[in-house]
This record gives sequence, structure tokens and C-alpha cells, in this order.
Amino acid sequence: MENNIEPFEFKQCVSIVKSTGRYASNLSELRKLISRVGDESIFHHVYQYFLKGHMLEYTNDFAHWAGEHLEERALAERLSSIDPYTLKSVSEVRKELIREIDDFLSHFPEPRDVAPGGEFYFNETVSLVFPVGVKTRNLAEFLVAIGHIDAGSIYYHFYDSRVRLGEGVVDDFSRWIEHTLYRKKVADKIRAIDPFMHSIESIREHIKEIVEECVRADMEGVED
Amino acid sequence: MIRQYSGIVPKGDLLLIQKLCDKLKGRSFIHVNSTREGGGVAEILQRMIPLLKDLGIDARWEVLEGDATFFEITKKIHNALQGNREKFTKKMWEYYYEVNRKNKRNINLNADAVLIHDPQPAALIDFRRKSARSGKKIWIWRCHIDVAHPVSGVWSNLRKYIVQYNSAIFSVSKFAKSLPIDEFIVTPSIDPLSDKNRELTDREINEVGDQFGIPRDKPIILQVSRFDRFKDPIGVINAYKIVKKYNDCRLILAGSPATDDPEGEAILNEVRDYAGNDPDIHILLLPPDKHKEINALQRMSDVILQKSIKEGFGLTVSEAMWKEKPVIGGAVGGIPLQIVHGLTGFVVYSVEGAAFRIRQFLNNPDMAKRMGQEGREYVRNNFLITRQIRDYLSIWYCTMNRGRHVLEL
Repeated sequence: MENNIEPFEFKQCVSIVKSTGRYASNLSELRKLISRVGDESIFHHVYQYFLKGHMLEYTNDFAHWAGEHLEERALAERLSSIDPYTLKSVSEVRKELIREIDDFLSHFPEPRDVAPGGEFYFNETVSLVFPVGVKTRNLAEFLVAIGHIDAGSIYYHFYDSRVRLGEGVVDDFSRWIEHTLYRKKVADKIRAIDPFMHSIESIREHIKEIVEECVRADMEGVED
Repeated sequence: MIRQYSGIVPKGDLLLIQKLCDKLKGRSFIHVNSTREGGGVAEILQRMIPLLKDLGIDARWEVLEGDATFFEITKKIHNALQGNREKFTKKMWEYYYEVNRKNKRNINLNADAVLIHDPQPAALIDFRRKSARSGKKIWIWRCHIDVAHPVSGVWSNLRKYIVQYNSAIFSVSKFAKSLPIDEFIVTPSIDPLSDKNRELTDREINEVGDQFGIPRDKPIILQVSRFDRFKDPIGVINAYKIVKKYNDCRLILAGSPATDDPEGEAILNEVRDYAGNDPDIHILLLPPDKHKEINALQRMSDVILQKSIKEGFGLTVSEAMWKEKPVIGGAVGGIPLQIVHGLTGFVVYSVEGAAFRIRQFLNNPDMAKRMGQEGREYVRNNFLITRQIRDYLSIWYCTMNRGRHVLEL
């Protein structure tokens, strides 16, 4: 029976950083460059923020810079509240960033320069995606695998999938669990993990807990 | 060979290295730098070349040969790229070019990928075969130094060579320039298996403590660095003096003399005078090859500082973090990339800030331990040699597939 199940194949994403050679020393320059750099750069500074692996106070590089280097906390909060996964494309994210900055600049039109060394450097990435050689066919195997794969693999399946698979799609894990294993409740619990509020390691722990609970219940013959 | 790193470095890095080597199997990859020994570039090449050969890459390492005049000129180029004013004449640049031209005769540059390290051999690109220019041979320039604020005339002289490469690699985003070629960012790395970073036994650590006469009776604060002003050794002593009012401790300042710096000896004397007769301050002058001793000093310490006021990348921070030590660093160069403030250590902006954070660590051993553990994990994921090898191979592969932003392997 299990042989007929499409296995979940774990993949991993490694990103090699490229510089655009452009940088901003104040908010006006940042705004100008956000409107000019390629989609890949916006994508890197917003979506790939979670690749850093650790949870910071903000949810993208622009918000982090506004808070930590410009010391404009209100702007940082507003930039942080942009949810890139509810927007249809990188260009919409770009528009939202510019809208928030323009609004801020209309109230505070003379932004000051950051201290030397604190400039915002616009980068982008080339991503290399490769299978890690682990396939799982049921939740018990999945539970073992999720505990041992690299953080880059969790990023690829939990965050990158939201962009890769398009609007309305969440993470690869819950998609497979719902559509291949037909365990909608487990899938829903994974979908309920807020992607903005956890580090990758914390997401790993949450998924482990959810799946472990289900595997234990299965072994005890408890129906979900 | 790569198996030596299994269980130490991230699995994905080892896997990607092997996958890329499978793709690039049988191809030739040559590295050119200007020294066989000493310095971070030689260290990584010593380890990387045999490893790549083992994985089926025809890897070679060639060293540019030059006389004392050439290296005096390239030292000046190096300093000017870091922002120091140096006098240059047209003849010096001609000499620089001529030495590169002579080396072309001895170095076989015919390879699928050529990676040239730093400014000394940068002009070799001018002798790339015409057939290679239009073909699939890839030339990459790797800059290991801080070129954020170069003396413009020197940079423009070098730039005419750099723009002929297929791509360039810088260590930190802020070092990258506006160039018409692809520019990649690859941070430096440490080797977890080297004498400087491998695990040591308690006996080995104690032997070093005894050798330098360091009692293990109170907490130890350490800074490892050359004795130069940019590492702020006087600032470190001042921070120690503030801490000492509240917490008994020792301070070790360990490093090699700055032999290429005319001010080096004067600064060392200044530091010694400033430390005075305090028996709890240990100033250790070590030759640059005393890696195991540095390793032991780091491992016997409770808090490790890198309170620089100007810095390239500052890999001593990653060395300390790899040993699970709580770290405090100045907010300069690559230090803030290694220290995630409040998570893997503290970034500071003043002597007072350094003193305050030392006291925090000494009084909160649980926090110090937690940050030390986070630091090791952060280094494991970002600053180990396998990640740098992975990046070099990835850049070679990306340059072969230029224009694509996602590459499936």
C-alpha cells in the first residue's frame, strides 16, 4: 500500500549572495533604490530574510535597517507588518514598501544619514536547489527526517514554497500531509504556525510536536 | 577526505560540495595567490586543493613569484586599497605589470576555472589566451581585503584588470564596488580541524596555561590580536580596569608583533607601560604559528573580546564562538556579521560598553553559556571552511550558468 504513496522528497536551498554594488545612506536613497533594483534584490531582502535562521525583532531587511540603523522604530514596525505572502508578486511587495516609506517621508521629509558603516547594501542571490537524499512515505518516517535535516531544507519547504507554488499555497509539508496522506487535521495544525514569529529551529520543533502527537495517537489507536 | 568533516559541519554543505564536484568532475580549477604559507588564504588553499582533487576536480595551486621590490609595491597597493595614502609612480605600476607578465611564462593558466586571489596576481588576466576570452573558461578575482574606501587612483589602476574577469568575489557587501561584472559575497571561514580550532584535552589546555604562567584561579578575559592601534589594546585594558572594580578577573592580551608596521614596537611598549605591574594582566607575544597555544588560551577563557576600532573581517571572533565562548566585539568590519547582538554575543561602541558587557557575562554564567552555544551553532552554519569551498564551487557553477537565479542540481 505504502509503495503507491508519492513520497515526500526533502530538498534544500543554498543561496549564494551577489552584490548589486548599490547602497543607501538615508531613507530617501533607500526609497529610490527600492524602486530601481531588480525583483531578485527585493525578493532577497524580504522573502529570504527567514534564511538567516534566527528570529530578530523585524520581518525583513528593510525594517531591520530602519529600526537598527536609522533608529526610526515606527517606520520599522510598519515595514515589518508587510506580509509578503498575502501579496501577489514581488512588484506588489515593492509597491507596499514604497507606499510606507513615502507616507513616512511626507511626515518627516528630511531624513538623516546613518552612521558610516551602517549603510544599506542591496544584494540578491542565486539559489542552488538539490535533493538531500531523504524520502519519507509516512508520518513516522517524516518525524525522523524533520529532526535531522538542515535548516536550509526547512526554509525551502516551509517558506520558499509559499512563493514557488504561487498564491494560495502554503508550505510543502502540510500540502503533502493533506493531499497524499489525507491527514487534514495535522496539515491544518502545521499551517497554523505563524511563519513570522519563529526561528527556523523553532518551526522545526513545532512541526515535530504536531507530527509526534499524531504518530503517538496512531500507535495508541486513537482517531484524530 | 571530506568525510573528516562529517558530523561537524552542516550536512547540506557536504552534500552540495559533492553534487557540484559531480557536475564539474574532470574539469580543471586553478588558484593563484602570492604566498604558499602564512595568512588565511594559504590556510584555506592548503586544505581545499587536496579535498577538491579527492572529489574528482583537477585542482591546482600556483604561487606568483616576485622579488622584494615587487612585494614592497604590492604591500603599498594593499595599504592604499585599505585607504592609506601611499606614493605611487608610473614605474611602480610598470614593475607590477612586468612581474605578472614574467609569471605568465611559468604558470600554466590553462584551466576551466581560474581563481586569482588578491591584487598581487590580478594583472595575470591581461595574459588570458584569446581563445579563453570567447570560450567557456572562467576567470574570477577574489578580493580578501577591505576595499570599502580605497585611494581612488590605486583602485582605478587595479580596476582596469578587474573588469576583465567574469566575476569578482568580496568578503563583505560593503567592500563590493560598482562594477560591470557579477560580484559575489563570500565571507571568510575557519577550519574546525586545524590546530587553532580542533578540540583540545584538558591536559593540553593546562600545559599552555602553565607554559605562560597563567593561574586558573579567577575568570579570564582574553583578546587575541596583533598589537596595533586598530585592535585598541589600551581600550581593552581600560575596560578590564572598570570591570576589576566590581569583579576580580585576569586579562590576557595575546598576539603576534606587527612586524610590517613601523609603529608596532612602539604600541607594544605603550601597552606594557599602561598595564604597569598589575600581576593579573598577561601580555603574551606569540609567533604567528603558535596556533595550538592560541586555541588553548581561547578555551581557558571566560569572555573573549575583539574590541577593534577598525577591522577587516575579524575571524578571531568566529574562532572564539566555535569554542562556545561568549564574545564582545567592536561594531566594525565583519564583526557585526559574526556577532548577532544579544544572541551570539554583544557588539559594543565604547570602552564602557565593553566593560558593562564583560560584567554581564561574568555575573550571568547561564546567559554566557547560552550565547556561547548559540555562537557555535551560528559559526557552524556560516563560518566553517566547507561553506567557503561550497561557495567557490557554487560561484564557478553559477558563472557557467550566468543569468539564472535558481539552479536545480
